[in-house]
Amino acid sequence: MKKLSARIAGIAIAFALPLSLVAPASAAPAAVTLTVWTYGNVIEPQAITDYKKLHPEITIQLKKSGLDAHHQSLITSFLANKTPDIAAIEVSYSGYFRSYPQYFTDLRQAPYNSASIEKNYLDWRWDQGVGYEGTVFGIPTDVGGMQVAYRPDLFKAHGLPSTRDAVGKLWPTWNAFIATGQKYQKNLTKAEKTSCTKKKVCYGFIDNAGTIYNAVLNQGTKKYYENDNTKDGKLVYGSNSQVKAAFQTTATALGSGIGTNINSFTNDWNVGMNKGIFATILAPAWMMDYIKQQAPKTKGKWDIASLPGGGGNLGGSQLSIPKSAVHKKEAWDFMSWYLSPEEQLSIFKQYGLFPSTSVLYNDPALKDFKDPFFNNAPVGQIYGSSVQTLKPIYEGKKQRAIDNIIGQALSRVGLKKQSAASAWTQAMNEIKSAVGPSK
Amino acid sequence: MNLLTNPALLITILVGLGILAWLVVHYRDKSRWRKVSPWSYLVLCFMIVVSAFPFYWMYIVASNGNEEISKNPPTLVPGPRFMTLIGHVFEAAPTFGLSIWNTVVVGTLISVAQVVFSALAGFAFAKLNFRGRKFLVLFVIGTMMLPSQLGIIPLFMIVNNLGWGSTLSAIVVPALVTAFGVFWMRQIIDAQVPNELLEAASIDGAGVIRVFRSVVMPIIAQSSFVLGLFAFLGTWNDFLWPLLVLNDPNQFTVQVAVNQLSASYTVDYALMLGGAFLATAPLLLLFVLVGRQLVSGVMDGAVKG
Amino acid sequence: MTNSAAKPLSPWKASGPKKAKKRKANSDDGSVVQSLNGGWGYLFTAPFVIMFLIFGLAPVIYSVYIAFFQWDPLDFTHVYIGLDNFVRVVQDEQFWLAVRNTFSIWALSTFPQMVMAIALANVLRNPMLKFKTFWRTMLLVPNITSVLAVAIVFGQLFSRDFGLVNLAREYLGMSNHINFVSETIPGHIAIATMITWRWLGYNALIFLAAMLAVPNELYEAASIDGASSWRQFLYVTLPGIRNTITFVLVVGTIGGLQVFAEPLTLAGGESGGDSRQFSTLTLFLFEQAHMGNWGYAATIGIMITFIVLIISGINFVFTRRLGSGENVQ
Repeated sequence: MKKLSARIAGIAIAFALPLSLVAPASAAPAAVTLTVWTYGNVIEPQAITDYKKLHPEITIQLKKSGLDAHHQSLITSFLANKTPDIAAIEVSYSGYFRSYPQYFTDLRQAPYNSASIEKNYLDWRWDQGVGYEGTVFGIPTDVGGMQVAYRPDLFKAHGLPSTRDAVGKLWPTWNAFIATGQKYQKNLTKAEKTSCTKKKVCYGFIDNAGTIYNAVLNQGTKKYYENDNTKDGKLVYGSNSQVKAAFQTTATALGSGIGTNINSFTNDWNVGMNKGIFATILAPAWMMDYIKQQAPKTKGKWDIASLPGGGGNLGGSQLSIPKSAVHKKEAWDFMSWYLSPEEQLSIFKQYGLFPSTSVLYNDPALKDFKDPFFNNAPVGQIYGSSVQTLKPIYEGKKQRAIDNIIGQALSRVGLKKQSAASAWTQAMNEIKSAVGPSK
Repeated sequence: MNLLTNPALLITILVGLGILAWLVVHYRDKSRWRKVSPWSYLVLCFMIVVSAFPFYWMYIVASNGNEEISKNPPTLVPGPRFMTLIGHVFEAAPTFGLSIWNTVVVGTLISVAQVVFSALAGFAFAKLNFRGRKFLVLFVIGTMMLPSQLGIIPLFMIVNNLGWGSTLSAIVVPALVTAFGVFWMRQIIDAQVPNELLEAASIDGAGVIRVFRSVVMPIIAQSSFVLGLFAFLGTWNDFLWPLLVLNDPNQFTVQVAVNQLSASYTVDYALMLGGAFLATAPLLLLFVLVGRQLVSGVMDGAVKG
Repeated sequence: MTNSAAKPLSPWKASGPKKAKKRKANSDDGSVVQSLNGGWGYLFTAPFVIMFLIFGLAPVIYSVYIAFFQWDPLDFTHVYIGLDNFVRVVQDEQFWLAVRNTFSIWALSTFPQMVMAIALANVLRNPMLKFKTFWRTMLLVPNITSVLAVAIVFGQLFSRDFGLVNLAREYLGMSNHINFVSETIPGHIAIATMITWRWLGYNALIFLAAMLAVPNELYEAASIDGASSWRQFLYVTLPGIRNTITFVLVVGTIGGLQVFAEPLTLAGGESGGDSRQFSTLTLFLFEQAHMGNWGYAATIGIMITFIVLIISGINFVFTRRLGSGENVQ
């Protein structure tokens, strides 16, 4: 035993000596592994490769989960006091986490100094990363935006105009959108109609009319909560007429039979994209890459037209540094690099994630960018103009739960399991039960 | 249902009739007829097919990839892409192999600990007289009636307070000894270790520890092994608790790792079934080795005591 | 000679505690070895008792405590709300839906399975059967898979467009595909199928063991009296395994209350689908916990416990009544 410990001591000294000589001279950065938790495509693979080239000593260990599972595991990590270094917060959860800024590093402080980069970003996107008492807990990643991705070939085959501008003029309002859809349905071919009755593969105008709900709601000024400067916010879902109006419009669309009732991100949806089962998708910018991945053979067959009612938004996220993170400085280095205007532009060109850095919106690199997959649509310009028209909407604490309940209600309406009126009543009761009564 | 235009149905029926005919011919010997009817074997064969089919299907989907499974008529034979798919699983979940290893370690720790602690406590409850024994036994049984859902959230809080949140310790420590294990060993010892033997050893001057080591342990070795096996299997397959507690991929157990594969935007069946296959194959291997003991474990427990 | 029913073997599955209680009374009398130093009992049981107090008892007590609060896990202080959670759960339509769903799945997965398990055990009982060990071992294979793996495989088999179940139905002439995921009864059938597949062999083995314990003299006496094998089954076998039937029923019920992984996987979400058709009691608890309503989730756990106690109580009364006529041959 003694011999062994002597040996170990000897080896240790042997190593320590040269190190002690070397250490002051060289300042080689220590190898660090950053744990990053995200969902979906918040952090694109190319970014990780690029960053490794810039900082070979930093290894990024990425954990991707489903949307809800991701945020759940983040909460669990807060409770266990073992958090990742960087965590993505999707905008529909920003309402929840902004009630708990104490679990995040306040990025206003040194050495992060978020105030210096604040001006680069779209104001309402920046707000989604600010806690109820002013803490900046997250920096915006992309902005979802929303437009209509459509198939010009299918439009033409069903008696509708097919050029981008003409299509945009078809539907300045949602009612016009629904009417266009009904015209499409009327012009379905015989084969398409029998396919529906016999094989239950139904062709339609839009993938799921239920997606109209969020589009309409996000065009407004208020959703389920009002900001009363408290941690939890004030519930107004019952009294806010915008919510009911969005529900009504969507229920009408669902009732008019223009949708195929296929849910997004299912296998049926992928198949539908490939086989032209539906001709339109309400598409935020980040969905473009998704379509490219799942339906590569439809390249060039899509185009982008403007959304009824003006701009729209779906999705987007902030990157945050939890309070118990271990490598905060390295986390900030990565975050500020990834979320800088330059990198966001590069990511946009490669993956279609639309930058939240408004300083870019007049940049020709963005405005002149055309996407060949979408028939060379100038996606930079189209999405850019729309996101600037949006107004900030206060996101409240349990917004996600409310969204889910209403989503289920609309789904039941779409599948004809329930009438719109009773679905609404049931949804209101369930919301009251889950989050509390509305003021 | 037009038989003539439905070749698959026709073939299935013909094959079925063929098997029946063979059985009838084979068992024409009347004396054997009465003993075991061919229907019995048919039923058992059918059960085997039904039991084994999902495993086979896991392999088929995993080896064929996603495009193949969206076909009608479906592909019913294995394909060539199994190794590619395994590659994808490890690509999507770089810590998948680690999670298998984690589960092996955790499972072993738990099964050894459960056997040891359960044997000790079970022996005490069965054979030793100490004050409070009866009360303790009844009390523990009473709480065994409570479902696991009752305490799961506070257990989560307790585990966090002890600093084990998000780590494998949260999986191991609460499972080191369970009431079920203790009562199982109690039953076994009660049934298998005759008091006379213990009396004799004790009269010969052996202390309790000696008695336990030399008399009890050899007798209960086989059953202890079965308990350990069940504990290992239970740990391997445990899903709800690890799902609640673990969120660091380096600390995942295998079921959580498989669940994490469903994290991509759409349901990637080939990937998930590949993961499920990898998570199940080691157990199948284990089963080939110790299946018999498991069967006796199940059946013995059904009537003992 | 006893036909007493099974003690559960799977340490990870709920047990039939009432059975254990009765046996306890038997062995308490004089089974201890007086000449051994009982003092060691404290040491030997200490690891178990300590672990049990910390990880078994404390959580239960704590659970009852937080049920009286509005408890969001990230909050540092919690609001005491008295009986509000309990009032809420009794009036909560979603809770009762979860109860109905759970029992629907339970009924679909327990009764057909019991019938099949008994039939299977009867087949295996035959002493002239060849390859006995092989059949028995193969029957246990489904039981060693994890519920998650089973849910994934069967989820794919039951999928609407290309799942084998619907394709098989197509071959049998029924061309309209059932959507097992979005409709209630088909969904429950799908889950019941998974549960049955998993437990049929295991329960068959339990019944087999019970059947093998029925003494041969009874069968001989019956066949001397001219009873056919069907009558023998009805009047010798079935009564002989009566206790086991009750036991398997209770264990299956308690297990049924814990159904979680299958509905979670099929529904793809914690709310259990658009019409909450897959929302079982445990999934509902999990959902509430994840929504940050820990107090309410604890209340649901307490309600589940009440249900378990009621069922155990019914079983106890039932078995008592049966027990009086048990050994009448």
